[in-house]
Amino acid sequence: MTDAPARITLDQWDVRYARLRAGGLAEPSYGGPLGRHLADGDRRLAKLRYDNSPAALRLWNFLLTEEDRLFAARQAGRKIVGVMKDLGTAAAMAMSLPNVTAFYPDGAWWIPCLMEHGSGVLEVAASLGLDDSFCPVRAMLGAFATGEHFPRPDLLVCSAGAVCDDFSAIAQLVEHLGNAILWWEMPARRRPADGEPAVPLPAGFTAPASQVAFVRGELDRVRKALGELAGLELDDQALAAGIARANHARGVLDELRLLAYSAEPCPMPALEMLIAEMLIIHYCSDRDEAPAVLEGLLAETRRRVDARLGVLPAGAARIFWVNPVADLRVMNLLEDCGGRLCGTELLFCHSLEPIPANLPPMEALARTALADPMVGAVRDRAERICAEIIRFGAEAVVVSRIPGASHCALEGGLIGGIIGGRLGLPVLEIEAPELSDSMMPTLRTRLEAIVETVKERRR
Amino acid sequence: MICAGIDAGSRAVKAVLVDSRSLATLGSSVLDQGVHQDRTALAAIEQLLAPRGLGRRDVARIVATGYARNIVEFADTTITEITCHACGVRHQMPSARTVIEIGGQDSKLLRLADDGRVRDFAMNDRCAAGTGRFLEMVAGKLEVPLGRLGEIAALATNPAAISSMCVVFAETEIIGLLASGAHPQDIIAGVLGAIASRVAAMVGRRLEAPVAFTGGVAMVPGMDSALAGVLGRSVTVVNYPQMTGALGAAILAARSCGQSEKG
Repeated sequence: MTDAPARITLDQWDVRYARLRAGGLAEPSYGGPLGRHLADGDRRLAKLRYDNSPAALRLWNFLLTEEDRLFAARQAGRKIVGVMKDLGTAAAMAMSLPNVTAFYPDGAWWIPCLMEHGSGVLEVAASLGLDDSFCPVRAMLGAFATGEHFPRPDLLVCSAGAVCDDFSAIAQLVEHLGNAILWWEMPARRRPADGEPAVPLPAGFTAPASQVAFVRGELDRVRKALGELAGLELDDQALAAGIARANHARGVLDELRLLAYSAEPCPMPALEMLIAEMLIIHYCSDRDEAPAVLEGLLAETRRRVDARLGVLPAGAARIFWVNPVADLRVMNLLEDCGGRLCGTELLFCHSLEPIPANLPPMEALARTALADPMVGAVRDRAERICAEIIRFGAEAVVVSRIPGASHCALEGGLIGGIIGGRLGLPVLEIEAPELSDSMMPTLRTRLEAIVETVKERRR
Repeated sequence: MICAGIDAGSRAVKAVLVDSRSLATLGSSVLDQGVHQDRTALAAIEQLLAPRGLGRRDVARIVATGYARNIVEFADTTITEITCHACGVRHQMPSARTVIEIGGQDSKLLRLADDGRVRDFAMNDRCAAGTGRFLEMVAGKLEVPLGRLGEIAALATNPAAISSMCVVFAETEIIGLLASGAHPQDIIAGVLGAIASRVAAMVGRRLEAPVAFTGGVAMVPGMDSALAGVLGRSVTVVNYPQMTGALGAAILAARSCGQSEKG
């Protein structure tokens, strides 16, 4: 086995791990062989292929130890805050407090994918009235009911209003289980009317000043609750420091994305990039370690780019990916079919943008929250996607839908139509459930076909 | 030099031999798909070669396509049905800008550029309502040969309204229609219309004429007119529609040999 960039199996990783350890690999406290997570029940890991760098090992270990971290935080007496239906804003606020650990309960939707049918969270959700006609985020309800995947939070905050129907139903059932929720309202973002005072938002959007002021007021309630929970005032100074930390992590990720999605040959696999992007929402419950993990991945990517090393053969079809996949295997499949990731819009692009540091913190946070692609018009989101496609030079687009996810169901076709019409690129819509094993042949055909289409267009 | 294409589909395996220089079709064969799909594919190609006194070594290159393409171990390479159908249609009907292919277990929409390359595509393989399987179910339920469906549908005077959303529910509807005395021809015409509606939903607003119709279901008389009625455009059934994928695969095999005189 060489040290050249490669995608390797879990078994191969464990062999490599032993060799790296013997060679003096230094690891953080959560380090160890990846195979141990399989033994803990993350069955899906046996079917994935991973980047073979120590930086990727650290990324995976960081991701897969989040539950341990949360239970340890509880043991240590830290305040646990669940930030639901929040893609980076309330988390940044919560993590501005030294004695608070924030996490993202919605992330439980990946539990069934990692544990396959071993977790039981979907079955529990079904027993509580949410069957597979609902978004996979219903796994969160099962996780709250079993209490096995994260400690019961000291505070739960959740946005309401411009939220998809499925999530709203799921969150209300979580509350009915006895988990009090501090609801804050997010209005549907609209474009300012003629003559109406408007303010720019991150990601190039604009919104009426009145909407920003409203969101600021809502987030003020969250701020107050967080301060009361922590027994500390969440003042502007603390928030500014939290924002600076968030912006540092976002900056690292932005550089990583630019390198990974632009360089030829592809320096970092799609799966690791997906995980890296997901980290930015809530830092995997560790605000200090997450940026370090991303920095490690960036350093490895930069090293490969400088050395012109790729993890995939040169010439892979450059695919822009819209919406996260529920089944991680699909990211491997893209590469198996001759494609590579060349940009993403995973429903939280506003979390990748710097929070404006030149504004009062609450104003900056309100503007960032309102830049959420899911609270605005499809057209806004599609325009942002088009800009990103151009930025990274993608040759085709895959719009991935998740069965039961009401948001994806309606937006995918519209976004595909706008992208196809504006940029003339081939757009493929796919649907992949949490466990797409039975659908792998059909998904493979579609992805191979889009790769063939791209390569034919190059001639 | 000879090249071959094999379309290992869900219901049938099709094989086509072409002259790699002129791309002229030298022969074709169709076998029902079986449990041993690799053996069926081999039989389909040998059925073409043996009468000509040829063996596998006389075939310069073989491309496999279709849902079972990866099982055809003796193929030199595999190419998806999307690319193969586009190539096969282009060969027969260069003016086509939209291709509708309805096979045994899926249906596809391809939009082609002026030079015949695939611009975009969509597939439906999650629901049998827009596929040949729907027709098989109806033929079985009404005890009518599959090949006579179109002929019988032409006699319809009051086509039934059938759900285009789900074959299972549609079957229930058909049982109900029979029980209420509906004529088989009206039921069949309703089913053809339902399939056409399902395909039209996939096409959406992306239709650009001329429209080529291919795949095994295109052989059912009346299906083209049902499609044309729903789409509001004329639809041209290509020659030997069941063979289009295999033909495209054979042409792509010839191209990759670098010997074909045509694009």
